Amino acid sequence: MPISIVVPQLGESVAEGTVSKWLKAQGDKVRKEEPLVEIQTDKINVEIPSPGDGILERILVAEGTTVLVGTEIAVLSGAGEPAAPAPSLAAAPAVASAAAPPSQPARAGAPAVASPALRPAPSTGDGSSGNGELQVGDGRSLSPAVRRIMREQNVSLAELAAIRGSGVAGRVTRDDLLEYLQSRTAAPARASAAAAVAPPAPAAPPPAFLAPRLAPAAAGPREEVVPFSKVRKLIAENMVRAKHTAAHTHCFDETDMSAIVGLKREWGPKLEAQGVRLTYMPFFIKASVLALKEFPWVNGEVRGDTMVVKKFYNIGMAVGRDEKGLIVPNLKDCDRKNLVQLAAEVNDLAARARADRLKPDEIQGGTFSITNAGVYGAINSSPVINVPEVAILGVHKIVERPVIRDGQIVARPMMNASIGFDHRVVDGELAVKFLRRVCELLERPELLWFHA
Amino acid sequence: MILSACHLGPTPYREALALQEGLVSARASGTTGDWLLYPDHSPVLTIGRGGNPESLIADAATLKGRGIELFEVARGGDVTWHGPGQLVGYLIADLSRHGRDLHRFLRDLEQSLIDALAAFGVAGERVAGRTGVWVEGEKIASIGVAVRRWVSYHGFALNVAPDLGFFDLIHPCGLRGIHMTSLARRLEEKAPTLAEARERVAVAVAAAMGYEGLAWKDPAQARRLAEEAAGESGPRAEAHAG
Repeated sequence: MPISIVVPQLGESVAEGTVSKWLKAQGDKVRKEEPLVEIQTDKINVEIPSPGDGILERILVAEGTTVLVGTEIAVLSGAGEPAAPAPSLAAAPAVASAAAPPSQPARAGAPAVASPALRPAPSTGDGSSGNGELQVGDGRSLSPAVRRIMREQNVSLAELAAIRGSGVAGRVTRDDLLEYLQSRTAAPARASAAAAVAPPAPAAPPPAFLAPRLAPAAAGPREEVVPFSKVRKLIAENMVRAKHTAAHTHCFDETDMSAIVGLKREWGPKLEAQGVRLTYMPFFIKASVLALKEFPWVNGEVRGDTMVVKKFYNIGMAVGRDEKGLIVPNLKDCDRKNLVQLAAEVNDLAARARADRLKPDEIQGGTFSITNAGVYGAINSSPVINVPEVAILGVHKIVERPVIRDGQIVARPMMNASIGFDHRVVDGELAVKFLRRVCELLERPELLWFHA
Repeated sequence: MILSACHLGPTPYREALALQEGLVSARASGTTGDWLLYPDHSPVLTIGRGGNPESLIADAATLKGRGIELFEVARGGDVTWHGPGQLVGYLIADLSRHGRDLHRFLRDLEQSLIDALAAFGVAGERVAGRTGVWVEGEKIASIGVAVRRWVSYHGFALNVAPDLGFFDLIHPCGLRGIHMTSLARRLEEKAPTLAEARERVAVAVAAAMGYEGLAWKDPAQARRLAEEAAGESGPRAEAHAG
């Protein structure tokens, strides 16, 4: 009888565990009480011993995967059982007699072996036997995951018996069951859809705007449960901590990007020829660093009851990575780098952030951050501070907009800029002046030359 | 039940690991009670099962040059440092006495350390989702536990007066900049000595974790128990074969 290895109950508030290390490989012989696998939850790593003698038939959950308590993670074949489900010669007569017509009496001595296969499912309500193993009529045992899905989706044992199991000895696995459920829900949906499009009377078609615009519901469950990845957990923690500790306030300004757009247009191709792609980010960094030098409190950190003002300028830039999750690596000592160096580093850092190739110190020790929601099309945003920093600059899409210059309406590439700041330590006056200065430096980059 | 506490004195990390494993066997088979072991480690880095190589800043050559050994161990958590000035405590405890509830065990262990810190006038606190003890946002004690046959080993490390510069070799526990602190940094000349901290923490562990008392034992006794358990069981797999 295969034994299902599940993540055991590890405490009242412990809902999940991460498979940290398999101590045995698939196909290994294991003995009762021998350590099989390590599961980690929070800061505790637990060795799970084997519940019996046997062979580790199949590992179902890879190392590093987080699963709910009760999830089946491996299957152990029982002691003395053949590893392969192929029937042995000794089992053959039992099969033969089970298939024989009922009028022909089973051979004496054999019925005890033969009849269980034909006997209907136990009538103990949910069908679970005393030892917690649920069995189908033909003796296939079910994992807790399968049992749970059966309960939730009202799958009868009769239905289950009809599913061809792909697991050990024909066991119905979780995947088999989910696949079955998809076809089960899909079939009635198709039937009712057919009924709906076949009205008995050929009435005039309803106006187009009344026709349902939604495509027919896709087969399968309507919700998907996706456990948080480690990165997602950290993002969630950091965001909540930021919102709980910093007194978030935002203010907004706008800047005429004509000069920067011109510089980029002129220098972009030249740098490209040297292998450096020029984006707007290096300009934002340059302007920020000079403004931070003029307003040092914005380049700081709250530590307990103190404000730590930093004399170095490690500028973080938020990098979106789709489902991998936001990360904010920072460029070190931006005050000591020229625009071309910054451009090269921005590209390198962003590429490595997306490839998960950042070094740990590149995501620590930032002093101020910039987030560019404009790359996704936003024209304004109120960003969350990258705590323990005290401010973050939001830059956005550059849009041609009509503005008044010398009494004339002219089109100019305009950009909204925003700042999220911690009002505990950065007053509104300071934030507004800082943001205005950043905008001014972008409008008139020659100021960088005069002041930096 | 009485908690047996024991100051092992200078102990190489590998030896402390073997000692713990022996005592875990002894505890699981019921030949001894719960133990709190205090080793004095020379500088060592250990990586738990939650660790990844990127948490290490220093390269192998740097570590070797500074005489720091690196171990991968079966406890929970990421990378951490142990060494002089730090109170390292290994708790060999039967979790069945703690309701086989891992989180409750961690929270009780944190409470012990918070209570001990309070006795020195330092307000330690928990940070949700970040096991350990923190003082004003800085980490003062780390916790990482392993469990075998429902017996815990490994434990905690409280920074009494270590050279916090060692933590620059690693990223303790995660992605973001974690500032480490110590009793010496918080209290300066009023900080307790390691010996004072050792006694205070033992009392706090015994109280917060529901022991009836605390008894200081000779390290030789712990070593003998561990050796006997290791000797009679041989490979772990045999321990319960009969």
